[in-house]
Amino acid sequence: MADEPVLDNIPEATVVRRKRMRFSVIWIIPILAAAVAIGLAVQRALSEGPVITIVFKSAGGIEAGKTFIKYKDVRIGQVTAVTLSEDYSRVLVKAKIAKHATGLMVEDAKFWVVEPRISINGVSGLNTLLSGNYIGFQAGKSTEDQRTFSGLDDPPTIMDQPGRRFVLKANSLGSLGVGDPIYYRGILVGQVALYNLVNDGRSVEITIFINAPYDKYVSAETRFWNASGIDVSVGADGVDIRTESLAALIGGGVAFDTPAYLPPAAPAAEKAEFPIYRNRAIAMKQPDPIERRFVLYFDESVRGLSVGAPVTLYGLRVGEVAQVGLHFDTATHTFRPRVLVTFFPDQLVGRMTAKQQVENGKELLNFDTATRLKLLRQNVEEKGLRAQLKTGSYLTGELYVAFEYFPNAPKVKMDVSRDPLELPVIAGGFANIEAKLSSILTKVDNMPLNAIGTEVDAKLVPEGSKTLQDMRNAIVSADRVLKNTDATLFGKDSPAPQDLRDTLQEVTRAARSVRILVDYLERHPEMLIRGKTEEKP
Amino acid sequence: MTADAATAAQLGLMSCEACQMLSRPAAPGEPSYCRRCGEKLEFRHHGSIQKTWALVIAAAICYIPANLLPVLKTTTLGDSEGDTILSGVAFLYATGSWPLALIVLVASVMIPLGKLVALAYLLLTVQRGSITSNHERTRLYRLVEIIGRWSMLDVFVATFTVAMVQLQPLMSVAPGAGVLFFAAVVVLTMLAAEVFDPRLIWDSAYPHPNRHG
Repeated sequence: MADEPVLDNIPEATVVRRKRMRFSVIWIIPILAAAVAIGLAVQRALSEGPVITIVFKSAGGIEAGKTFIKYKDVRIGQVTAVTLSEDYSRVLVKAKIAKHATGLMVEDAKFWVVEPRISINGVSGLNTLLSGNYIGFQAGKSTEDQRTFSGLDDPPTIMDQPGRRFVLKANSLGSLGVGDPIYYRGILVGQVALYNLVNDGRSVEITIFINAPYDKYVSAETRFWNASGIDVSVGADGVDIRTESLAALIGGGVAFDTPAYLPPAAPAAEKAEFPIYRNRAIAMKQPDPIERRFVLYFDESVRGLSVGAPVTLYGLRVGEVAQVGLHFDTATHTFRPRVLVTFFPDQLVGRMTAKQQVENGKELLNFDTATRLKLLRQNVEEKGLRAQLKTGSYLTGELYVAFEYFPNAPKVKMDVSRDPLELPVIAGGFANIEAKLSSILTKVDNMPLNAIGTEVDAKLVPEGSKTLQDMRNAIVSADRVLKNTDATLFGKDSPAPQDLRDTLQEVTRAARSVRILVDYLERHPEMLIRGKTEEKP
Repeated sequence: MTADAATAAQLGLMSCEACQMLSRPAAPGEPSYCRRCGEKLEFRHHGSIQKTWALVIAAAICYIPANLLPVLKTTTLGDSEGDTILSGVAFLYATGSWPLALIVLVASVMIPLGKLVALAYLLLTVQRGSITSNHERTRLYRLVEIIGRWSMLDVFVATFTVAMVQLQPLMSVAPGAGVLFFAAVVVLTMLAAEVFDPRLIWDSAYPHPNRHG
């Protein structure tokens, strides 16, 4: 232990202060906060869509920060500011569009204000009553980006749904309007998209939209007609009332169908043009391939005879009136009604039985001109084929042209060289009755009724009263005679009743004998020849 | 307290923050604990300024989304709408209840901001060794500490509303992201106020060797 080491010169260890971390762990908190905040900001910035401007005529119900732009009921944007344009004539609506909808902001995109609407075809936009108006949106097909749009005044009637457009040509728009329904067999299948005047101002083009899958029923042969209101047609055929639906009844509409007699055709192309007919009957009428025209000169009023009125043969329709007018006779300087009728041989053939159609139809339709004229001449000159005006309806006074054979009609000669051929007429129907009635009236008028009356007064009356006196006397005498007879025949103790009873008994007996004789004769008729033979048991 | 009196730190003593007992520090490098109540004793909070700065900065960052993001999402008949605090203020003002608007504006926008500014001010002055208006700064600190716990009112109202207004499908209210940030601002400022050592305010006036940054 003696040589203990000297510890004194061993230096003291220095106390080194533990170095504190320069940065406390707590700095994680602001870094974290910053990271989250920056992350949110970045996300926000990335999700920021473009700002668009929509120009409206008025800002009905649009409020900055409250009005949204909705597409398929999804919010794709929000109005951020509503200001007036520089000339104060329009409203500029600025809206921020969601990032995901940026691609929708193309040239032909459409914007309109959705507000509650009540129309004849229904109520729409009811949800806006609670949520406030919003801006409706319809995507466009263009690929050109755009940031300024002009808003529509009315919602586009054609939402982007599958279907096709067709164009109807009409002389006038009638009661049709944008959004009016289009019916196919009573089903609502589309609507009127827009209408415009053709450039020359002489007709109207109505663009309609038929929703898929109904658009495939529109073929080149399809007929469209106006289904507006009630279609009441009063013709010689009677009264025909039709309507497509109550909405169409009040608001108007268009219906279409393809006539069943036509072969099925391929669906019509987009924007194909069609005429629009006045009503279903006209639209769906079968065209008659062969038609012959004849002219008739009547000698009576043709009031009540309208174009399209039926022409009948024995009451069956075989044609129609094509034209009603006047003919000026240069020789006599007088006017006569001139009626042009169209005769459809097909309809005539169509009335025949199937067998006859096959046997004679072709022949009848394919006569050459000479044979046809000969046949016609035969019918007119020999058989007495005549045209007659008849009343179809006494209520409306509608007339029609009836062809019938009048063998007793005065003979005529046909001039076959004229075109159209003139057929002879006979005063008919109502005109005939009228003529007869007036002739009767003339006769009645011509009777010397006054003279007859005076004569009766002067000669017949004294004579008559004398006769009457005599008659009264005669009746009194007769009365007396009858009373006497009564007393003689049926009075008390009169012989008549007893005699009558006896006589009746005699008669009864006689009748019995006769019956026996008849019975016997029935069994033995030979008795008449051979006499009565003894009955053998 | 007069300006002439020596501070505990100057005398090399530590005061207990819980029971205010003065103690001599334990051996250097060893953590000291209060003999009476067992509280950890420090001359000054360890890294107080740095920690407070961190929390204040974090709160300031959160303050931005708290005001920009919707606090409540109201869904009325399928249309949902987000409301930020400021839009709520604007709505209240626009509908004529400007006193309410003022209350919300003060309580939810200005007070959190004021707290942040106040804390930043305190930190800056301490760091720069300012020796002026120490009393005022101490009072400011106390104010920040007192207000802190009341700032959660917004969050409370929001959660309350969300719980109450659930009239599905007519109307419902859901909390927005903003409320989360708002709560974060409040919590972070409270923590910052907690971490900040008010004794630092006086240190510049009475320098002592045991100064901790």
